[in-house]
Amino acid sequence: MTCPYLEYRDEGDGRSFETARAYCGAADGFVQPMRADVCNDRYDLDHTTDCEIYRAHENGL
Amino acid sequence: MGYSDYLAGEPLIITVAPTGGVHGKETHPDLPETPAEIAETAAACEAAGASVIHLHARRKNGERSFSRERFRELTTAVREATEEMVIQHSTGGTGVPLEDRLEPLRTDPAPEMASLDMGPVNRYHHLTSENPRGTVDTLHEKMHERGIKPELEVFNPGHLNEVEAFLDRTEIEDPPYLGVLYGGGTLTPAHPRNVQNVVDNLPAGAAFNTLAMGRHQLPLTTTSVLLGGHVRVGFEDNVYIRAGEQAESNAQLVERAQNIAELLGRPVATPEQARAILGVQ
Repeated sequence: MTCPYLEYRDEGDGRSFETARAYCGAADGFVQPMRADVCNDRYDLDHTTDCEIYRAHENGL
Repeated sequence: MGYSDYLAGEPLIITVAPTGGVHGKETHPDLPETPAEIAETAAACEAAGASVIHLHARRKNGERSFSRERFRELTTAVREATEEMVIQHSTGGTGVPLEDRLEPLRTDPAPEMASLDMGPVNRYHHLTSENPRGTVDTLHEKMHERGIKPELEVFNPGHLNEVEAFLDRTEIEDPPYLGVLYGGGTLTPAHPRNVQNVVDNLPAGAAFNTLAMGRHQLPLTTTSVLLGGHVRVGFEDNVYIRAGEQAESNAQLVERAQNIAELLGRPVATPEQARAILGVQ
């Protein structure tokens, strides 16, 4: 399961890209490629435990 | 290695790390991600004086890829675009299983070099790239089997102990080649005195490469030139040419390193010289 705040956009944050990139709806910005692996729960990564943005957002911080 | 190597005119190996595995075009619009973009960058960096290129593969959307096929495609493009650069694959990968990290070592042909992280480094707020000794040994076994020279990545001075222990339990082609990282977090604190400290604590016969993050890239790589070390520049570690101004390209950073070496009277190594210095097969 991927992060509910993950979107793929080719525009946003005042920038545009040829290929849609990972965008965090909680942080309102494009995320780094390494962080996108966390958003997608790839490899051994899990957004519910590994992403401080998700955790803070879920906790209403 | 040390200041005497500088005085003796040891050629300087400039490595370029154009892409990395952390940030992408959201950080710098011209950070090369596709094989074609990286190959074009490689050619420009070779012309500017880089003899080694450190490669990370990416998916079409810029996200990390560890697939053998994607690395093969990338390496093929770089080989076709360059004359004789030494190709180094990354085996780093925060949160990535060992089996995936082995894939860049399985390309045909094999890269001449690969990075080998010597211990843990923290990422973001909840992640650690662990790199336990068993992982290091498994990655190295594959390198040894395929004739790939490791660059031993030292994230902080404690990893110099790990290097010593690694050299005690393994066989690698002389000289041992260390890449020492400087920056924040779990990296070596970025100060010129710590470059000297690393030189003072190098394993016998070792050569070293200096990698410094952001604004520290220029002063610490310059220190490395004077202390007989080698240098790594490029967008993986730093996207700025000066405070507040992004570099135009990776090649601009390579050209600056080449100019500094020339000003300081240190010759820049050709790829052939780099292979000889590094003991690359």
